[in-house]
Amino acid sequence: MSRSPRIPDYDLQKVVTPNRLLGLWRMMTGFRLKYLGATLSLGVSALSKTLTYMLLRYFVDHYLVAQTGSVPLIFIALGFLGLATIEGSMTFTSGRLAAQTAEGITRRLRNYLFDHIQQLSFSYHDQAQTGDLIERCTSDVDAMRRFFSDQAIGIGRIILLFAINFIALININPTLAVVSIVVLPLIVAASFFFFKRVSKAYAAYQEQEATLSTTLQENLTGVRVVKAFARQKYEMDKFERDNWEKFLRGKKLNTMHSLFWPVSDVLCGFQMLLGYFTGAVMAINGIISVGDYLAYTGLITYIIFPMRNLGRIIVQLSTGMVSFGRVREIIKERREPLDEGDYLPEKAVRGELQFQNVGFEYESGSSVLSEINFEVLPGQAIALLGATGSGKTTLVNLLPRFYEYTHGKIELDGVPLQRYPRRYLRQQIGIVEQEPFLFSRSIRENISYGVGRDVDMVEIEAAARAAAIHDVILSFPQGYDTIVGEKGVTLSGGQKQRVAIARTLLKNPRILILDDSTSSVDTETEAEIRAAMETLMKNRTTFIIAHRIQSIMNADLILVMDQGRIIQNGQHETLVSQPGMYRDIYDIQTRIEAELEKEIASVS
Amino acid sequence: MSANYIEEEEFQTRFSGKIFVRILGLIKPHWPQVVGFLLAILVVSGLDAWFTYLSKQIVDNGIVPRNVDSLLKTLELYGSLIVIQAIATFFFIFFVSILGERVRYDLRRMMFNHLQKLSLSYYSRTPVGWIIARVTSDTERVSDMITWGLLDSAWAVMNITTSLVFMFAINWRLTLIVLVILPILLYVAIQFRKRILVQYRKVRKQNSKIVGAYNENITGVRVIKALGREQGNLEEFGVVTGEMYKASYRAAWLSALFLPSVQIITAFAVGSIVYYGGLQANIGGVTIGGIQAFISYVTFMMWPIQDLARVFAEMQHAIASAERIFSLTDAVPDVADRPGSVDPGTIQGDIEFDHVTFAYDDEGKQVLRDFSLLVKRGETIALVGPTGGGKSTIVNLLCRFYEPQAGVIRIGDRDYTEISMHAIQSRIGVVLQTPHLFSGTIRENIRYGRLEATDAEVEEAARIVGAHDFIQRFEHHYDEPVGEGGNLLSTGQKQLISLARAVLAQPEIFIMDEATSSVDTLTEALIQRGMETLMKGRTSFVIAHRLSTIKRADRILVIEDGRIAEMGTHSELLRKGGKYYQLYTKQFRHEMNEAFDPLRQPGKKEQPA
Repeated sequence: MSRSPRIPDYDLQKVVTPNRLLGLWRMMTGFRLKYLGATLSLGVSALSKTLTYMLLRYFVDHYLVAQTGSVPLIFIALGFLGLATIEGSMTFTSGRLAAQTAEGITRRLRNYLFDHIQQLSFSYHDQAQTGDLIERCTSDVDAMRRFFSDQAIGIGRIILLFAINFIALININPTLAVVSIVVLPLIVAASFFFFKRVSKAYAAYQEQEATLSTTLQENLTGVRVVKAFARQKYEMDKFERDNWEKFLRGKKLNTMHSLFWPVSDVLCGFQMLLGYFTGAVMAINGIISVGDYLAYTGLITYIIFPMRNLGRIIVQLSTGMVSFGRVREIIKERREPLDEGDYLPEKAVRGELQFQNVGFEYESGSSVLSEINFEVLPGQAIALLGATGSGKTTLVNLLPRFYEYTHGKIELDGVPLQRYPRRYLRQQIGIVEQEPFLFSRSIRENISYGVGRDVDMVEIEAAARAAAIHDVILSFPQGYDTIVGEKGVTLSGGQKQRVAIARTLLKNPRILILDDSTSSVDTETEAEIRAAMETLMKNRTTFIIAHRIQSIMNADLILVMDQGRIIQNGQHETLVSQPGMYRDIYDIQTRIEAELEKEIASVS
Repeated sequence: MSANYIEEEEFQTRFSGKIFVRILGLIKPHWPQVVGFLLAILVVSGLDAWFTYLSKQIVDNGIVPRNVDSLLKTLELYGSLIVIQAIATFFFIFFVSILGERVRYDLRRMMFNHLQKLSLSYYSRTPVGWIIARVTSDTERVSDMITWGLLDSAWAVMNITTSLVFMFAINWRLTLIVLVILPILLYVAIQFRKRILVQYRKVRKQNSKIVGAYNENITGVRVIKALGREQGNLEEFGVVTGEMYKASYRAAWLSALFLPSVQIITAFAVGSIVYYGGLQANIGGVTIGGIQAFISYVTFMMWPIQDLARVFAEMQHAIASAERIFSLTDAVPDVADRPGSVDPGTIQGDIEFDHVTFAYDDEGKQVLRDFSLLVKRGETIALVGPTGGGKSTIVNLLCRFYEPQAGVIRIGDRDYTEISMHAIQSRIGVVLQTPHLFSGTIRENIRYGRLEATDAEVEEAARIVGAHDFIQRFEHHYDEPVGEGGNLLSTGQKQLISLARAVLAQPEIFIMDEATSSVDTLTEALIQRGMETLMKGRTSFVIAHRLSTIKRADRILVIEDGRIAEMGTHSELLRKGGKYYQLYTKQFRHEMNEAFDPLRQPGKKEQPA
């Protein structure tokens, strides 16, 4: 198979200009010559077509009407063939170049958007909607592809056809040429208004299609509910309503079509007839030759009928522009600079951290964290305890610079965190989430994902063993090649977490962030996960986001958080001995055991 | 995305006459429209050929002999034929496109209605995406085939035939040239079309990969950032877009080559006509208009040929689509009413599982083995035990979503297969763990339980399950939309609404499968009394892990490996110190932690799904 050609380098950030046309023009950077070539070939092809009719004129006038032809007939015949060959090869060249332009631009745009999205900040993704983003990256990009492949070229084609053939008509007879286009403005206007309305009717039809799909989808996924309430009849009626509505909207759309085409046929037909009449009368009066007339009847077709499409293309052009606007909104967002920072140590970090009066607030001004002060020595374990929304997750998200703190100072190994490039920091930090995200690829690839080097099977298995997931993986028919997710096996929350632990072990970071919440996991796996986590924590500075006390009693430092502040800190022994939230939580455990004993005693 | 993916997977079919007849059967009820559009297209097509002939006459009878009268007559005829053709054009577009919509409508309806009859076993082995692809893209393809496909072929055949007739009338020798070129043209066109179609399928496949990649890139962006995988991902994605480029470039390339190739072949014909025509004109065999007409006929013949080739190439795919559609509508429901099944008017009474054995698929593991259980009318049974032990299967069998492979289930002393499915299912109220709501308002969703219920009854049901308060907090109260699949509500809220829905149905048997697992402890305590009133006098099955619900039951069954491991009341089982005891103590600690944990803010635990 051939390799696809290299993509011309261009920073698409530059297409963000207030002028959309300029933006689209910039988007064509690197492909403009091809586009020019496509347009020129189209011109040559149109010209050969026109010349074919001129040759026909010569043939008729000099071989059929009068035998005055000076070249052998076979050359005339070959001439037709030659012109057709030129026309054909130029049409082909144009199509090829147009495809290279459009597909090339689209490919570059797709890659750019993909990269752009993964480099946008956490703050952007916090408020972005997945469905909307995907829609823009697919449907809108496709609308732009059509803009470059069909519409931009299509307009050029219609204009060229018109210009070349109109010049040929003037050459035959100027009066005749003018007569041939009197109805034309009407045809263009009619098609423009028609397609404008049709695109609306089509949108309505598509919308109903979406409604119908939703009804179908909900019925299929809710089949148990439908059956449980014996609501089949009701469901059929509901589907029937949506289905019928779609039929009606389709009918409306099609009725518009069935009206437009005959009407425009009549308009075009009478324009032709007007030309035939004028031409024929001129030929009878000897103003033009018979050959002129015949060439004319051929040429006029290429002026009139393309005009019917002009309206359609103009309407589609505007949808292409709207799509460009939507894509541009993504491009205009600023990327997170991964390599910005002037301090890049050769070695791994030691993992010593200092938080001095650190605060974080959103752009809107609402404060999430304030007055955070603590110190961590390399290899220590720090536990964060607090209710949902108390700021635990935000605090640890400052470390890989997912968010930038807005007040105070964080120092890592004595150097301000902002001086480290993000890429370096993220290599040094490993994160295991409560319900980790796995990619729909094989378990092997998921474990080696993000290591940034080739990893052999021995290493992967070792990591899986240490994470207590090896045996589980082997129990799947495809072992390590088992695909995770929709198209493969569904892993339980605990299994996913252990795959993520293996992934992190392989990455071997100096600083670790663990989201330790095992509330939904049964006892057996809870012990396994805990053991795996302890393996992972060895010799690493670790932050544990905890929801319960049992898992953090051994931590070197416990930070109890509430509303973005640290309200208590210290080790377990200290915290238990002083009144406060920590002791309240701790006391509950003892109380529960007492309650349980009482409960069991009551039945016996 | 998945819809496309599945569609691409199986595509191997041979032409079969039977299928073809069945496809044609789809338009049989609409035969007047079919006749209508076929007639209209024949008029259009015939007139197209006639127009060329008239152009010849303008030259031969008007211009060359300088006869203005004849010219005007011809033009007059031409003008009126344009109007007639326009009318015919209106009719054919109108008939064929609306018939197309109609066939799509019919097919979707046929499939949907059949889907309602199919059993759960069908759904468990058929992915939803597959079914959706059948109802959406396959209906499109089949209906296009039997409407536009039929129309285009009729037009093409008619156009070629009439053109040939006119050509023969003008000059038979020149016509022979055309007859030689015709099959070559058709062959080349079909080859092109087939290859183009293959490329477009590739494009679609790559496209669904691209959508998938974007989806994962966006949903997994935090992990990608944390692992610094940006560069690697971009490289992988570059491969996919590279493949996309290749496939779509090849499709465009082939399409760009297609027309010129056909045009060059026709140019051969034109060249030959000019050559022989020129020779013949010298000896007075053919007129000027005749030559012109010939050139027009030949040049325009590539359009009907094009259409024929397209229809031919797409036919295979349409037949494959039709086969898949028929495979869906031919599927026989595994669970269906037996002949002579009755509606006894009520299904109150004792329920008995008599040596029931069941497996979800024939070779699969038996989920229930020789399972027997007698439940007295009005009793509340709690089912506890590990996941996969068979609790939900008992419920599935009782609802008759499935039927036992061996043994009998009796409701009120009658084998329940003798009772109609509607009689059973309309009297059982089931609340499932994963609550499923339909797009629409909260009111509509609750009313799903009993369609004729009044607004007051709907609200009463919501009050019983403790949903009224949070519903009142919404801007539109009961008219608040729940979103697609209920995704604007939290899982706990969805569970309460589906509970209200079952309550409103006033069922005779009540089944709750982890129905309130995501409801917070506080609300759970609130609805306690409501649920108790509801279950009083109704035979109820409750699968639950929450102790309050379990303790309330008349009998507790610990189900493990498809058998009853322990059975008894709460205190009996606790005293026994067995499996129930272990489950209980573990759950007790868990619930207490949850209830007293100051870190957990009640009501805030739930995040909207």
